Amino acid sequence: MNRKRINPAVLVIIMLGIGLQITFAHSVFTNIGVIIITCLYLSYCKTSSKLLILTSLYAFPLALGSWWSFIAFGTGDVWHIAWIYASRVYAYLYLGAIVTLTVPIKDILLSLALHLNLSSTFVYGLLASFNLLGRIKSQYKTIRYSAMMRGTTYHFWNPNLYLRIIIVALNWSQDLAEAMTSQGFTEGAQRTLTYKDNLPKWQWGLAALLILLYFIFSFLVRPW
Amino acid sequence: MSISLKVEDLTFTYSKDSEPIFDNLDFTLPINSFNLLIGPSGSGKSTIFKLMSGLYPQYNGTKKSGRILLNGQEITDIVPFERARHVAMLFQNPSRQFAMKTVFEQLVFALENIQYPAHLITKKATTVLNNLNLWQFKDRVLQTLSGGEQQRVALATILALDSPIIFLDEPFANIDSASRLVILAELKQMQIAQHKTIFISDHDISNYAGLVNHLYEIKLSSKNLLELPLSKLSKLPNQTKIVKKNLPDNAAFSWHNLSFHIGERLLLSPNSLSIPKGYVGLLSGDNGIGKSTLFAALAHQKKYSGNIFYNGKPSEKIRLNNWAKIVANIFQNSSDQFIKLRVNEELELSQSNSLHSEYWTAKRVQDAVNKLNLTHVLEHVNYQLSGGQQKKLQALIILIMSQPVMLFDEPFAGLDISSLAILLTLIKQTTKDLDSSTLIISHQRRGVIEHIDYEFLMRAQTITRLGEP
Amino acid sequence: MQTVDHTKKGWSVKDVIFLAIIAIFFGIIYQVWSFAYYAIAATPLKPYANDLTLGVWIMAGPLAGVLLKKVGASVVGELLAAAVEMLLFSSWGASTLISGFVQGIGNELGFAATGYKNWGKLGLLLSTIGSTIITFIWDWFQSGYSAYHVGLLLSLFIIRFISIGFFSGILVYWIKKLVDKSGLIK
Repeated sequence: MNRKRINPAVLVIIMLGIGLQITFAHSVFTNIGVIIITCLYLSYCKTSSKLLILTSLYAFPLALGSWWSFIAFGTGDVWHIAWIYASRVYAYLYLGAIVTLTVPIKDILLSLALHLNLSSTFVYGLLASFNLLGRIKSQYKTIRYSAMMRGTTYHFWNPNLYLRIIIVALNWSQDLAEAMTSQGFTEGAQRTLTYKDNLPKWQWGLAALLILLYFIFSFLVRPW
Repeated sequence: MSISLKVEDLTFTYSKDSEPIFDNLDFTLPINSFNLLIGPSGSGKSTIFKLMSGLYPQYNGTKKSGRILLNGQEITDIVPFERARHVAMLFQNPSRQFAMKTVFEQLVFALENIQYPAHLITKKATTVLNNLNLWQFKDRVLQTLSGGEQQRVALATILALDSPIIFLDEPFANIDSASRLVILAELKQMQIAQHKTIFISDHDISNYAGLVNHLYEIKLSSKNLLELPLSKLSKLPNQTKIVKKNLPDNAAFSWHNLSFHIGERLLLSPNSLSIPKGYVGLLSGDNGIGKSTLFAALAHQKKYSGNIFYNGKPSEKIRLNNWAKIVANIFQNSSDQFIKLRVNEELELSQSNSLHSEYWTAKRVQDAVNKLNLTHVLEHVNYQLSGGQQKKLQALIILIMSQPVMLFDEPFAGLDISSLAILLTLIKQTTKDLDSSTLIISHQRRGVIEHIDYEFLMRAQTITRLGEP
Repeated sequence: MQTVDHTKKGWSVKDVIFLAIIAIFFGIIYQVWSFAYYAIAATPLKPYANDLTLGVWIMAGPLAGVLLKKVGASVVGELLAAAVEMLLFSSWGASTLISGFVQGIGNELGFAATGYKNWGKLGLLLSTIGSTIITFIWDWFQSGYSAYHVGLLLSLFIIRFISIGFFSGILVYWIKKLVDKSGLIK
């Protein structure tokens, strides 16, 4: 990586700082502003355009549904409202994407631990479970097949399905936690940290500036 | 630096109102030696290891009395990052002992835990990986490695921690015999060159003669640990072969050019076979070779290429919930099978949905329950049964379902020899009476092989029927 | 050698992994069932789809509460589920984490109202009421419910309470009863 990136912890702060405000803002323009700036950063990071298009398409039904529902059931200036909530879906989406699509999961969590005091119990607990994704998927198939073999089906409202899930989670979490403990992992204890990332002070300034600018535009200037 | 690990007058139980699993146990681990612990599954081999490495009672059970002392200090009171520098453990399930995604990250994680100096971590991890010839695996994703490779990475993690005492809890349960031999040789070499103390548990005692300094067994009767003479290791029973039989060519179930991978690893290259009706076959082959994966593929639980046929119809055209009424998979892990809470509920469900309810009359079910000695636990919760009872219940509920194809994955694990005989007779009787096709994976051959009609061997990415021209 | 302080009772790595694995299973179940949600969400009936399925999305919170029975379990459980959803099954972007936090708070308030003493029917009832109200207020702003007709709002509120009441209340209660009977969590 030759190009300078924004530190993952700073990205998370930007995401939450602006994301929280979007909820209360009423402006199509500021939503579009967020979309443009995040997309510029995403292309600067050379995020796979195929992946971006796919996620954008995936969110389209939601944006359409939002838009349409205000036209159908809204009160007041329905067109304005419809466009606010349709563009909001994408503002949220790309705001999340600047974190999840530009930084590996491990770096997000370790950066949060390094700069924002996220406890190592959560960092390594999450990392350890994420590694099991593939096995959890095949275990879910096993659980479903076990019911089909007996002539029944597990629907998602069936409490027995969740009992099975809980049993697997209990056994596996115990195995993993025992192994991590035997490898010296101690909750709340000091650890050596070899993870390093670049966080010049100006990046905190950038986060503060972006969050403040968004506030000024959304709540004081209030364009359409 | 001298080290000592002692168990004094230990009484340990899993739940407050149940019988203790160890009773007034005294044991001193012989330092600088290679030790082996044997005993039937469920006898407490894992338990004693986890107690001596300080994981229990933190993670399970209650210590009723006694002490476990590492260098004179109660081991459960020592913080894990200190403990790990003295005592380490390699676990039975190779894939569930890693916090990180890649091999190198995993070693770094362990070194960070024990507060190893940051500037030395890369060097240390590199040295250890080189020593175990694992350097080329450095950036590989752990979950895509084979069981044998995973255990060697776990061993590298332990070496990085420099722990002088190493427990290995059935480390070879899921890995092939070639990897097993490699790891055993590495362990012995480490033990001698680096003065390690090794304590390993295994259900298979072959290849230990000459390696081991002390042999122990858990005595169920006295709930204690007993030292055995080493001569026991050289007397190995002979492997029995299956008597060749001419079986009718009546197969309803077959596969054509079947093959599958796990990650990048090819487990089966295109293979075609069929299994006869009314007979019980054994699927043998090394640990970790892909036998369970074959069952998963046959039950449409795992992606494959090629075709599977039932009565001439390709399985891909059959919906999964209908396929589940053709191919039954009796899972290695019993709790994967249970869909109700209590024994009688499981039996009732199978009876009411049985594909051969005319055969499984109330009387026949009752007889089977009695023979399998489950009568007194009918009201019990499945998950509270002993390992052996769970195995028997698991097999019975599928036998009552009576799918035309039944795939049993290690149905006899943890069963004593008489329970095994009863269960196997029941499987055989049902198979014969209902003209089903039954295939069994069993690492235990004694008491099994005599009743088997044919044998498939899975080896080097292929499956062949033994004794065929 | 340094010793452990056995009296400390924070979050253990086992609890975190336990909840994260459950959250991953939830993620898989959501994937399977989200087709139905999507089909409705692409139409003007989207608010109905939201409210009808809300109980399923937020189950992880109260479930974590009744399984671990500790202060903060609902919030942490729901946040973990949101983090898993965002990092592994990403589709809603930034709003996932924020909504997860808000939903968790709603559930948590219910258990807090019993002084963290009742993890049974009463605690769950209060937790469903708490999360229905809190999430509804949240959607007032986030999803623009403020702009809907009163009639629609009323029916949405009722649908939401039924959905949360069933999935995050009754179903969680049934699961808890099964887990208790199984004797697996001491």
